[in-house]
Amino acid sequence: MNDTKERVARCFATVFPDIRQDEIATASMESVAGWDSVAHVILLSSIAEEFGLNFDLEEFRSLVSYALIVDFLERNSAHG
Amino acid sequence: MTLNQALALINSRKGNRGNAVYSLACGFEPLHLATLLRAHLLERLPGDGNVEVQSGVYGDLRGNIESAARTAATACAVVLEWSDLDPRLGLRSSGGWSNEAKADLIANCIERYARLEAAIVALAGRMPVALAPPSLPLPPIGNTIRAQSSVLELELEQQLARFLLPVARVSGVRVVERSRIEAPVAALDARMELIAGFPYTIPFANSLAASLVDVICQPAPKKGLITDLDGTLWSGIAGEMGVEGLSWSQEHHTQTHGLYQQMLGHLAGCGVLLAACSKNEMTTAEAALARKDLFLNAESLFPVCANWGPKSASVGRILDTWNIAADAVVFVDDSPMELDEVQRAYPGMTCLAFPGKDPAAVWNLLGRLRDLFGKPELMEEDRLRQSSIRASAQVREMAAQGGSAEFLRTLEGTVTLAWQVDQADKRPLELINKTNQFNLNGLRLGESEWQRLLGRNDTIVAVASYQDKFGPLGKIAVLVGSQAGRKVRVSHWVMSCRAFSRRIEHHMLDSLFRHCDAEEIAFAFANTEKNQPLREFFAAVGVSPDAEGAYRILRSGFVDGRGALPHEVSNLTE
Repeated sequence: MNDTKERVARCFATVFPDIRQDEIATASMESVAGWDSVAHVILLSSIAEEFGLNFDLEEFRSLVSYALIVDFLERNSAHG
Repeated sequence: MTLNQALALINSRKGNRGNAVYSLACGFEPLHLATLLRAHLLERLPGDGNVEVQSGVYGDLRGNIESAARTAATACAVVLEWSDLDPRLGLRSSGGWSNEAKADLIANCIERYARLEAAIVALAGRMPVALAPPSLPLPPIGNTIRAQSSVLELELEQQLARFLLPVARVSGVRVVERSRIEAPVAALDARMELIAGFPYTIPFANSLAASLVDVICQPAPKKGLITDLDGTLWSGIAGEMGVEGLSWSQEHHTQTHGLYQQMLGHLAGCGVLLAACSKNEMTTAEAALARKDLFLNAESLFPVCANWGPKSASVGRILDTWNIAADAVVFVDDSPMELDEVQRAYPGMTCLAFPGKDPAAVWNLLGRLRDLFGKPELMEEDRLRQSSIRASAQVREMAAQGGSAEFLRTLEGTVTLAWQVDQADKRPLELINKTNQFNLNGLRLGESEWQRLLGRNDTIVAVASYQDKFGPLGKIAVLVGSQAGRKVRVSHWVMSCRAFSRRIEHHMLDSLFRHCDAEEIAFAFANTEKNQPLREFFAAVGVSPDAEGAYRILRSGFVDGRGALPHEVSNLTE
């Protein structure tokens, strides 16, 4: 697991303390029971704080799974 | 604290027992503020128990305040923002900022304030309330450039001040000082407000949460301050330069000492006990304290200990005179050596250096003193404390010498027992929560627990006040219990140390037997580190554990062992 994945996984574990480690890689708004709109804001705020960035409105709407979030961060980091 | 640190702290306490419940009433999505508030409460509360923060629904501050009042929360944080007064003052409204709208919103705010005030007053009757005034900027609706205040903005600020002033006077309401919310960044996060209805940047939310917790979880205020004289209360050494050579004024470039004197005068007015401890001849100290241009009434320093012995010995005598514990006292001296000597003798005492030559450091010291002695509200007993301490010391000394009921009768004392408690009166709960020495078991009560107790049909509460020829002591003791048949069980019993040596506790127990027509009184006694005076009283009147370890006394046994009761007793049942 690379550094980005590890850090995102840590944020998932912080926001969803009941999630199992092996569930994180496939976690999405559909698959995680506690991932409602409030938890979504907390999760993305946690990740924004971890990576020192801000998500815009469209990103808030679209980043609804672990895979999408990691992909976004890696692309952002490659361009950045 | 960052959001991730707050979440990690909350997770670390997951599953821990001992849930303390707090309310957060706001009109926005509580989100990170609720998380950070919970984390700061966890940090502040002793032990590793858990904390729950309950919040309400979006967009209804008043409704959320009213809902909080129906809970059994320990305290409530109410966070007011401009948009709670009128949505047009927030970012999420499309109500417009026309001239008509501005006139309308001014009128609207007045009405909203009145409703909020009623809801907050009702809430404060149930639990302590920390009220944070608006922190977010107003929308740019002034006709001026931003560097210039507009009339509209000033009018809104004036309305806010008119709302806060009477609310701050309500017992139980504590208004957060906006200028003390120290955040590294601006308050408003416009992006999060539009995305999620949460208006604050996380660093600001963290600072606001910390301030709310500072206001909710205030440490017990210190009770007394012992000050050095030479180099501290004034500049100069009285024994060397003579009394007239001492100074504490701007004119002599020694104003830092004048500021300190004024601070002590202010503290005396708030009921803080003051004493002086100096390495000096007593006559020299008295002559200096007799100077008419002191900014402090020298009468408020009692006792004054001036001698050449170790300061810790003088401090010990002052503590004996005040009859309070060292950890409730602050000692101020300009000498690091004296501070060290006193600190070693009394590790629990707060010992502070007086940095007379550094105005900024003195200014910080005065602020520190405000925090050490500040309390949410002043009571009548605070005003009486200063005047009663001399009389109390005199009574204790005379009682120790003579110790007789005969002497106590010469005091012409009256014990007044109120058997009904005004729910708005905070003094009985304050006594329960700050008294250590004459304390049945050291158990403390939250505001909501207290209110619930008062609401029970079988609860007995007696609040004792006392006065004698030396003046009134105010409300000095509280006893709480319940009755079943002719048996009474006392769950809480405390008495202020100012009231010791007057046999007021004997009167209270005697009156409890009479008022309840009781045959037996049982006590929920527990040994604490500091309740030796209560244990001595129990031993004197014959309260002792039975075979099951329960502490009881029969009426006949008490009457035989109580001795003479020296005071008049007045019972108030209405």
